[in-house]
This record gives sequence, C-alpha cells and structure tokens, in this order.
Amino acid sequence: MSDNKDSNPKQKQSADHKQSTNQKSSTDQKPPANQQPAQTAVLEPKRTSVGHETRRIDGPLKVTGKAVYTSDHNFPGMVYAVPVGATIANGKVTKIDAAEAEKMPGVHAIYHRTNIGQLFRVAPDSTFTAYTDEPRPPLEDDIIRYYGQYVALAVADTFEQAKAAADAVKVTYQEEKPNVSPKLTADDKVKVESHRGDAQKAFDSAAIKLDETYTTASQTHNVIELHATVAVFDGTKFTMYETTQGVVNHKNVLVQVLGVDPENLQVISKFLGSGFGSKITPWSHCALAGAAARKLNRPVKLVVSRKMSFHAVGHRPRTQQRVRLSAQPDGKLTSIQHDYFNHTSMLDDYKENCGECTSYLYSTPNLRITSALSRRNVGTPTSMRGPGAVPGLFATESAMDELAIKLKMDPVKLRIINEPTIDEGLNLPFASRHLIGCYKQGADLFGWDQRDPRIGSMKKNGLTLGWGTAGASWIAERFPAEVAIQLNNDGTARVSSATQDIGTGTYTVFAQVVGDKLGIPIEKVEVVLGDTSLPAGPLSGGSMGIASIIPATTKAIEKAVDTLLTAAVQSPLTKFSGAKKTELALTNGNVHRKDQPSKEGVPFETVMQQVNLNKISGKASSPGTFSGKKQSSMHSYGVHFVEVTWQEELARLRVSRVVTVIDAGKIMNPKTGRNQIEGAIVMGLGMALFEGTEYEPTKGAPINSSLADYILPVNADMPKMDVHFLEVPNTELNEYGARGIGEIGLAGLAPALANAVHHATGIRVRNLPIRIEDLMGEST
Amino acid sequence: MVQEAAVGADGKPRIAGAMPVTLKINKKQYSIEVDPRTSLLDCIRENLAITGTKKGCDHGQCGACTVIVNGRRINSCLSLALMHDGDEVTTVEGLGDPDHMHPLQDAFVECDAYQCGYCTSGQLMSAAALLTEQCGHSDDDVREAMSGNICRCGAYANIVSAIQQVRSKS
Ligand code: FES
Ligand code: FES
Repeated sequence: MSDNKDSNPKQKQSADHKQSTNQKSSTDQKPPANQQPAQTAVLEPKRTSVGHETRRIDGPLKVTGKAVYTSDHNFPGMVYAVPVGATIANGKVTKIDAAEAEKMPGVHAIYHRTNIGQLFRVAPDSTFTAYTDEPRPPLEDDIIRYYGQYVALAVADTFEQAKAAADAVKVTYQEEKPNVSPKLTADDKVKVESHRGDAQKAFDSAAIKLDETYTTASQTHNVIELHATVAVFDGTKFTMYETTQGVVNHKNVLVQVLGVDPENLQVISKFLGSGFGSKITPWSHCALAGAAARKLNRPVKLVVSRKMSFHAVGHRPRTQQRVRLSAQPDGKLTSIQHDYFNHTSMLDDYKENCGECTSYLYSTPNLRITSALSRRNVGTPTSMRGPGAVPGLFATESAMDELAIKLKMDPVKLRIINEPTIDEGLNLPFASRHLIGCYKQGADLFGWDQRDPRIGSMKKNGLTLGWGTAGASWIAERFPAEVAIQLNNDGTARVSSATQDIGTGTYTVFAQVVGDKLGIPIEKVEVVLGDTSLPAGPLSGGSMGIASIIPATTKAIEKAVDTLLTAAVQSPLTKFSGAKKTELALTNGNVHRKDQPSKEGVPFETVMQQVNLNKISGKASSPGTFSGKKQSSMHSYGVHFVEVTWQEELARLRVSRVVTVIDAGKIMNPKTGRNQIEGAIVMGLGMALFEGTEYEPTKGAPINSSLADYILPVNADMPKMDVHFLEVPNTELNEYGARGIGEIGLAGLAPALANAVHHATGIRVRNLPIRIEDLMGEST
Repeated sequence: MVQEAAVGADGKPRIAGAMPVTLKINKKQYSIEVDPRTSLLDCIRENLAITGTKKGCDHGQCGACTVIVNGRRINSCLSLALMHDGDEVTTVEGLGDPDHMHPLQDAFVECDAYQCGYCTSGQLMSAAALLTEQCGHSDDDVREAMSGNICRCGAYANIVSAIQQVRSKS
C-alpha cells in the first residue's frame, strides 16, 4: 500500500546509513504523540550506535575462548552421562541387561525405565512459555517409536568410561517393520488453513494453469555446538546449564518433567552455539541429566553426540506440497491451491506450516490452503529456521516461476502484476510491505534487465549461466518481555533479562539500545542475559527477540531516568535542587535543563554521587502481539536474485552470485544484520543443493548421520553475496521500527536457486535437494 | 573387574588403566595421567579444563577442535592424547586474550567473522596455521584452505575478509 515510498530506495538507503538524527523521516506512519522526543527545547545531535556498524561487545570473549558455553562447565565431582539409543525404529524393549556395564571401571550407574525414577509429561501449552515438541518424557514406557530413542543412560567418572559402559549395555528388542516412507499421505483429517472464493472452479475453467508437486527433504539443524546439559543438584535445588534458545521456557518445562517447584530450578545459558530452532524446546537428554544428578547427588555432564542429534533433538520434517495455480493470459492469478503434508513422529503433531505466506503473498480472488500430517517412525520434528514459510516458499515460488514461463512473461513482472493492495488472507491493510521495492532494487543491482529468458542461452567464460529469482516473507511479531535496568554511580548501566544471545548479536543490540536511550557509549553498558534468575525475557525464536525486548527496555529506562531526575530535584546537593522534574532531561549521559544543551548539564553519575546513590533501578514489561485483534498485517519481505554456473560436460553446478534485498524495517546493527542474512544465504544453498536426512527403510535409522554424509556448505561453496536492506521502519512493533532478520534471509533462496538451475539447464527440479543426477537427464 | 581406589592424590577419581603423558599447551607444561582412550580434544577440555577448543562432531568432520601441534593444524578429536607426549600444543587461548588480542582475533571481531562463536576457535587456529602455510593470494585460495572448518552460522564471507585483512598487513 505504500510502495510509492520505494520510488528511490537507493537514496533512502544511503540516507539511512548516515548518522540519522531524523531517523523517523522515512517511517511508514507518523510516530504517535507520546513517542515524540520529550526534550525538544534544545535540539542537538544524539550519541547513538543504533543503525551503525557496531562490533559485538562479546566478540573479544568469543575469539579468545573465554566465552563459556554449556559443555565448557566443569565442576568438582562431576560425572559424565552417555545415553544408549534404540537400534530399532519400531517395536519394544523386552530386556535390558546392564550387569556387565555396571561392573566396568568408573561406572556409577546404568539407568533405565525401572530405576531412573519418575519423569513427568509436560502439560499442553500454546503460549510458548512451557512448551516442548516432545512431551513424552524419556524412558516412560518400553515402546520404541523411532531409531535412537533413549532406552538407558550410562554414568561414569569419565567420558571414555561412560561411553564404553553405554556400548556394553545389552538391549533386546521385539522389532517391527518401521514406516519411514518418504511418500506422504494424510493420516488424519485434512485441515483447511485458509480459503476464499472457489479455487477449484476457477482452476477448472482457466486457460492457463499449473499443477505440480514439490517436495523438500528432512533437514537436520546440525548446529556446530552439540546439545548438552550440565546438571548440578545440591540436594534441593537444580542449576541446569543448558543449550537453549529460551531459558524461561526451558525452566518451565523442566520443573514439570523433574517434578520440582519453580524456585528449585534455575536454567543458565550464557553463550549458545546457535540453535536455528533445534534448541527452542528442551529435549529428553535434559531430563536424563537432571534425573541422574538427583540420583547421584553429583554434577552430571551429558553431551548429545553428532550422530544422536539426527534423531534426538528435532529436525525439519519432509514436506510434500501440491501447488495449483491458474491465471489469465495477462498474468493475473485467478486461483491458488496449496495442499501440503509433512511427516511427523508417532506421538507428536508437529505441523510444518508450508502455507504460512501463501494467503497474503499474491492477490487472487480464489484460494484454498490445506495441511495434513503423515506419521512416521522418526524422531520428533521441530522448528528449523523459517519453519513453514521456508519449505512452503520453495513450492509456491518455484510454481510462480513455472507459471511465468507458461505465460512467456518475466518472473519479476508476474510478481508485480499480482502484488496485492491488502492482506487478502486476513482482510487487513499491510502495516509495511515493500516487496516490489525489493524486486526493483534487486533487479537493478543484479542486472536482471540483461537476462535472456531462453534456456541455456547465457554464457560466460565457457560456462552456462542461469539466473533465477524468488520472493520471501516472514512474520513480524513480539513475545512478552520483562527487562531490568540499573544506573550505576560510576557512569555505567546494567541491563538484564532472562533471554539469550544465540549468535544473533542480542548482547550487542541490547547495549546499543541502552546506549542510545541514555546517551552513553556501549562500552559503558553491561548486558546480563541467559539466566532464569533475571526478569523473564523472550525466547530467541521466530526472529522476534530484538523486536520483543525494545519496548520493555525503553520503558525500564524511562522509569530509571524518572527516578534519577526525582533524586536530582529533591536533593539539596545537586545544582537542580528545587527545579521541577519536568524541566529536566537526560541527554548524552548528562542531566540538564531542557532549555539548555546537554553539555551545560551534569553527568548522571555525578548527580548520583552528589546524592550518595549507589544504583537506580527500573523494571518494565511489554506484552506480546499474538493475542488481541490485529489492526494490520505485519511481515518482513525479501527477494533473492541468484546466478548459477553450469558446466554440462562435467555436470558441475556452482552458485556464483547472490543479490538479496531485505525489507525488515530498521536494521539496528548493519554489521551483524548483514552477516545474518549472508549466513541464511549459505544455509539456503545447503538446503537447495546438499542437505537431506535419509531414513534407511529397513531399520528406520537416519543413515547419513554424520557431517561427512550429511553435506553442509563449506567456505569453498560460497557465492559472491551482495546484501541490501530496504530500511523503512514501521514503529507499530517498537519505536525503532526493527523487525527480526533471523529467518527472512533463508526464505526464498532455495526456489530462486532452483529457478536459476532451470534457466541454465532446462531441468525443473521439484524435489530438494537438487542432485547432480537430476541434472543429467532430459530437459523438462 | 575389580574397582580401583576411587580417588587419587589430586582428589579426582583415579582412572583405571590411566597412563602418564606430558603436554606443553600454550607454553605451559602439564604432566597428567589419562585414560588411553582419551582424545587430545577431551584431554584439553575435560581433563585440563581448557575449554576454548570446541567439539562439534568428534569425528574429524567439522574443524571446531582444530589446534596447532608442533606448528601444524590438526583436528584434536582425531588424535589420542597419549600420542602427543612432549608435543607443543597451541589452542585459541594461546593466541591472545581479550586485552591482548592476536591480529587475527581482532580482525575476526572487526569483520564479524562469526555469529554464535562456536566454530570460531577452530577457524582461528586454522587461520593462524594458514598464515604460515603455502597458500595463494586470492580469496578462493583462502576459501579452499579454510574448507575443513564448517560454520553453520555461515559467516564464511567475513571469515575470508578477516584472514585476508591480516595477510595483507603481514
Ligand atoms: S570435533 Fe574434531 S573435527 Fe569436529
Ligand atoms: S559462528 Fe556459529 S558455527 Fe560458526
């Protein structure tokens, strides 16, 4: 609705890169009155790092090995736990013989269903405050539903001893044939996710139509930090060092599973080796480590092996998606149908919501989206970066490319023709949507107007080039958050919240916000996260962390500053003694009269020293955005342009160039922001070309369960990347207009790449990952 | 098998069948007894509690555990501690500390050559070794030489920038 503002995005961007004291000038809407700067009498440049390339404040710790991750914790008397995983995928444990293992050197115990003690289920939760994707606690019964399901736990003095003992536990099974079939059909009722008009009728009567099925492979997150728990039990209280994207949720789950009161369990995660969704909810190993620590009254370290992480800590499930599109000869869509399945585990209803963006991405009067689950003998699936939207967009954006070819129309033009004016799924106006702006800028930077649409027609240095594009979208929401601020009398500030930095730069952005609001350098801001003893902060998921913490942080700062100004006017010892609080302000770290510039004022720490105050605190919370009636449709958008090179005689496909333009509002720190998008492009390349967890049909095991057999992109796979942000802040979500950027960069990359492959080779690959074998056949 | 005396002189549990080894890590000498099955990686992390070096796979497939032994970079998970008697081992802690960062460490911070930081120690040790290896000048040469170190966060472009920045200055 406001794409007229995109008319000159380049100019806008360079303006945003400059120091911006008038940063609100390019917002989508006027800031509400209460967000106008309070102290307008003297206008002066504000000291801030927000929006500027900023080094991470935790960087020096990360590059020197001083950042302490979960499995880095070592405690006196600590023992090591190694789980025993089932070697069947369907059946029953009939006997566990631990006699030999128990006698091995250093072994403290072999736990199994009959001696671990009771572990409890987690009550249903839909608010992501006590949520787990796998509510069945470990060792609850003898039924095996997926390969590798934990059946026992060996605990010994050293890792080597525990591993040897785990290997010596003899488990007898009654085995049944597992179902890990990749062909998906609906096990339960098909659910209609969204519909309008009569899609089938429009499709049947259309002259131009497309009906194709796309699949995406199961993906394993394969974060480099292995999942781990170090459980410390002091006889009453647990301290759980965990690899988690949400310390608060983690705690709320574990108190239920272990059956303890909330005050007796603390979760700590100071540094996380990323999660990409796999560490959003606690997995079975956390409870095993906790139970063993309680039984033995000793600290227990449990690190989930790489092999186990292919079944024990979630995965993106396989999807199978039928897309039907119909259009008029001028390209206008007359219908969209998107029907998808994903596999899930036997006990859990994990839905990969592939239709996430389908209802609002394009304008069409007729639409129907359905979902269904297929139960398989696989571990519990979970969110993986851009859940739903990422595999969903592979199908729909590939289909749009196929439709453009049928229409003999440029694929960018097809998108422009079908750009909606409102969110037709929700029937609400868009809060901020600049998808066409992304296409225009991206096409410009990429040189898209040079594209010859004929298959294999573009050559460079003896290689065939393929150019493809696709669009993307991702939600923009907020979790509830609570943040505490503390002003110290040495001129520093401390901000704390029980959220965590999973590698996205949360520590740094927190410092930037506090620095911006107080007008102090970020070196003077201490950020304390990753501990449930702090005020309850948000999950790091859904690209919502930063958007969520900003309102609570600014409110907490307002409270602390109000207290500071009150103290300044009340005390006879400051130069503001007797003034009215409303006549004062805090700018650039100084308390000053509003009618005077801040340099005439006094540093806040001086005021505190004069009044003899050690610290001033403020705490505030802000609500989430999931409940309540929505006024507008709020999402982020993005576009990728991908160039591949194809060497037919060697069947060699490379990705040479990617131009990405992202519309995610204000970018708080372009240094870390660009890095996140580039990282997502890398992951997208993996999704498109390499990654797929293969389940072996007779045993049901994820068979390529190592980093040698599950291929991840490496440095030599890197294309040249050119990432741009179309910074149009929308302040509905928070005052800076920052939305999340963790996921949007992955969305749309795989279809853009597949579309480029088609352009180069004439082969349309509808099943990810694209394999060389696929490209050695006939053109399709 | 008979359980041995549970606790040794250092108060730590005595490990059955442990054998002596002397390692020089970051210029400091450590004479310890280790279970012969202990990898160099686990020895550094668990026995000596020097935890900057990370484990990402334990199978020589990710590079997170890269350390420099006698001037060469190796995957410390693929090597037994006992094989390194008398060897000089350098870990990320030996490169520099937060107040005295090695130029590579500073360049990694400046170029944002990480996100979560978990692969970073391995990347840095690979990069430190690369500085002394025969490696061509181009970005592609560096990419190839750094491809044994997986970064799931995908900070590859910045890793190459950081390394090239240091190489161009030295
Ligand atoms: S932990 Fe050694 S290479 Fe992965
Ligand atoms: S920084 Fe996270 S794996 Fe490289």
